[in-house]
Amino acid sequence: MSEIQSSVGGQLSVRDASQISLVDLLDRLLGTGVVLAGDVLISLAGVDLVQIRLHALITTVRADMPVPRNLQGGGTDG
Amino acid sequence: MAEDARRLLTQRLETDPDSVERDLFKLVLTIIELVRQLMEAQALRRVEEGDLTDDQVEALGLGLSRLEEAMEDLKSRYDLTTEDLNIDLGPLGTLLSEP
Amino acid sequence: MTESQPEHGRYLFAFARGLDPARLAGVLGLRGAPLEVVEHRDLQAVVCSVDLEEFGEDRLKEHLEDMEWLEEVARTHHDVVYAVSEVGAVAPMRLVTICSDDASVRGRVETLHTQLSEALSRVEGRREWSVKVYATRPAQPETVDAGRPASGAAYLQRKREQAAQRRSTGDQHLREADEIHQTLARSVVATRVLQPQDPRLTGRADTMILNGAYLVPTGETDGFRAVVSRLAELNPTLEIELNGPWPPYSFATLE
Repeated sequence: MSEIQSSVGGQLSVRDASQISLVDLLDRLLGTGVVLAGDVLISLAGVDLVQIRLHALITTVRADMPVPRNLQGGGTDG
Repeated sequence: MAEDARRLLTQRLETDPDSVERDLFKLVLTIIELVRQLMEAQALRRVEEGDLTDDQVEALGLGLSRLEEAMEDLKSRYDLTTEDLNIDLGPLGTLLSEP
Repeated sequence: MTESQPEHGRYLFAFARGLDPARLAGVLGLRGAPLEVVEHRDLQAVVCSVDLEEFGEDRLKEHLEDMEWLEEVARTHHDVVYAVSEVGAVAPMRLVTICSDDASVRGRVETLHTQLSEALSRVEGRREWSVKVYATRPAQPETVDAGRPASGAAYLQRKREQAAQRRSTGDQHLREADEIHQTLARSVVATRVLQPQDPRLTGRADTMILNGAYLVPTGETDGFRAVVSRLAELNPTLEIELNGPWPPYSFATLE
């Protein structure tokens, strides 16, 4: 089967004969590899209830980004 | 098919009546910490870009310093370390894993 | 049994050349289905029948979000590809590629014939090894032992210094990773640098600075191990992890 060796303090040694890790496998078998989606699904007593989409929730603002309309000062729809 | 790979690992926060309060609290603290670190990183970027006045720099620093203190206070009150808060947040979450 | 019923499809594991199907006896496909070899010209496709209830587009999306299902399918897929790789050159297929029937499988082989032939020649007699390099994360700087900053500007200055320190450590890691990769590259026939893996997926707190895939001729395995061993000696502060041999996923998988 396959082996896995790792080094500690400069010495490479066999750690264990191990199967390929799921992350390694999915990295290779899936087109884009594996990433965490940045979402959290909250489940209570086994029932899925709420999902938080962090990418949509939080973004940083760059100085050169146009300010969203509703945040601009003045205007008649304040 | 490949696009679904990114959706794959939505983290499930499994909770139950006994632990839901603490779990949700941890989640909220984690998000606050995330926002705080993002704010700090952005502020540093703006300072380095050099388009802020001295007063703005001082005010930013003071505010962020207080935020950091408040965060340390909250964490210690609930006996949580930064590692405890490090629930999986994907690419955004890497900010929480930095020293 | 070359025609499949409408509710079934052909799950494609991999392509091979000069494969003797008898060598795959005893290797099962998904859900216990037997493996079958579909021949076309000089190439072969290794397939099994699957129930479209489970693998058809509708249910598939749900299943792909189910880690347990995904792990089962991925491991079976790997076991089959591995079995084929033990017998000869293999060009693995990505996870969950289904053809409606054998005619469709042959059609795909026909369309991809040139690329497949090249891929198979590229990996004939060679195997993939993974080398990952980890750096210990620097100790967390104490946030409060420096005491309250004298001013807002001083606080930001401290943060800038910490960020600069992180950047400089990051740069050092990039240099170390690059040196190691270049040394390995000189001793193999092909390389592929993959994205470092997310710590939350690997369960490791330290920083992965290199995730490399290396194509090594079977006869040169010991030599390769020696190179990795030497690199470990030269870099005592880093952890070098060698994994393999694996089927040539990073070198022969067609998009």
